[in-house]
Amino acid sequence: MKIRTMEYFIKEALYSLKRNGLMSFASVTTVALSLLILGMFLVMVLNLNNMASALESQVQISVYLQDGLSDVEMREVGTRITKLPGVVQVNFISKEDAMKRFKERLGEQQSLLNALGEANPLPNAFEVKVDRTDRVKTVAQAMMQFKGVENAKYGQEVIEQLFALTKMVRIFGLVIIVFLALAALFIISNTIRITVFARRKEIGIMKYVGATDWFIRWPFLLEGMMLGFGGALLAVLFLNETYGVLIHQVYESLAFLPLIPQYPFITNISVVLLVTGTVIGALGSTISLRRFMKV
Amino acid sequence: MIHLDGVSKIYDNGCVALSDITVDIPKGDFVFVVGPSGAGKSTFIKLIFREELPTKGKLIVNGRNVGELDPSEVPYLRRNLGIVFQDYRLLPNKTVYENVAFAMQVIESSRREIQKRVSHVLDLVGLRHKGKNFPNELSGGEQQRIAIARAIVNNPVVVIADEPTGNLDPETSWDIMRIFEHINKDGTTIVMATHDKTVVDAMKKRVIAIEKSRIARDQVRGVYGYED
Repeated sequence: MKIRTMEYFIKEALYSLKRNGLMSFASVTTVALSLLILGMFLVMVLNLNNMASALESQVQISVYLQDGLSDVEMREVGTRITKLPGVVQVNFISKEDAMKRFKERLGEQQSLLNALGEANPLPNAFEVKVDRTDRVKTVAQAMMQFKGVENAKYGQEVIEQLFALTKMVRIFGLVIIVFLALAALFIISNTIRITVFARRKEIGIMKYVGATDWFIRWPFLLEGMMLGFGGALLAVLFLNETYGVLIHQVYESLAFLPLIPQYPFITNISVVLLVTGTVIGALGSTISLRRFMKV
Repeated sequence: MIHLDGVSKIYDNGCVALSDITVDIPKGDFVFVVGPSGAGKSTFIKLIFREELPTKGKLIVNGRNVGELDPSEVPYLRRNLGIVFQDYRLLPNKTVYENVAFAMQVIESSRREIQKRVSHVLDLVGLRHKGKNFPNELSGGEQQRIAIARAIVNNPVVVIADEPTGNLDPETSWDIMRIFEHINKDGTTIVMATHDKTVVDAMKKRVIAIEKSRIARDQVRGVYGYED
């Protein structure tokens, strides 16, 4: 394709956008809203995933020992744990240490423990750290088989709940996104239909003088792509701005929440949104061209 | 140049527009296609530039078998044809110059080529000075001359005209016919469907008369032969 022809296509597409001002505006707005919501869901899902992974990587296994083990027996369990593949750190927490920690955590409500009297129901335990998160489960299961071990627990439930939440958000988001993408597709295809209709005479003449189908299609395709890209650009700008503010707020008040830093995270999402917008625009055009322009 | 061999056209609603037409139009011919309204003249014209497809028979235009032409090849057939309509079909938002240049633009001619050819054909139809005007600023005759300029700008081997003088007064019609004659003298084949008795009778060109979807007459130096 010659550069001059490309110039002609772009000029024609821009001219159409201007001529259908109101419809163009409606298309861009719909795409912008749809993609903004898509962007928000992406941000949410990825952040939840990130949080779950962060928690998972910090996981340590608590190994509770049976009551009544001798010091030698307990030391033996400790040695066996240390020898397990992947184990990097083993700390012994005695019944007394555990109670001390528990009291600290209760703070002013320590009086609740008075009911126990002198009894300490907490078991002796080991805190075990492993090198890789995917080893947590196997190591925990292996330790449970050891003589003298009552139980081995890690933050499995919390993590699993977080992943379940991510999955739910993902499914819910997908439904909304599909619905909104269809709406955007519909409105872009309508805008292009109006353009095709307004220019049917021109299209007819182009066909009579021997323009190829693609020569006729290109300006309309470009128009759709520009609508999609324009909408995506608005969504990207808004998302970038709001995520910046969100990050700032979270760092100030909820610093422990492991949010993904703004860059390059938002840049990557922006690329996804811009490509999606442009593709939606091109698809919308194609639908109209196939239905309303017999070329 | 144009060869029809037993060509029939039956529309989807069962209407028979053309029936078993066999005719040969050699290069450089000037042919009037005449006949009563609804006889099949327009269908005859439309078949040539493949606006319609023949239902039966073989139709060759400029060496291409139109009936078997792949849709993607149709533009290339039409690049060798110039088409002129009764209602001019100019683009109102483009100037005279742009309307003519448009035909070259869509086949991706170079800017220099476009400038040279458009000026030449506007000279030929005597409207170079109106290049910057818009179609609605021109008379009917002038608009038709622009349409002719657009039809011939790509050097077609055949110019097809469907009632080109249908909307024009007799004097203007003669201006138009003189242009067609000039184009024909340069070797371009002209096929023109018309109702203009005066023109047909005076020009003494080949006349193909279509009646009730069949060829009723094919005369070398024919006359119109109808009272309308």
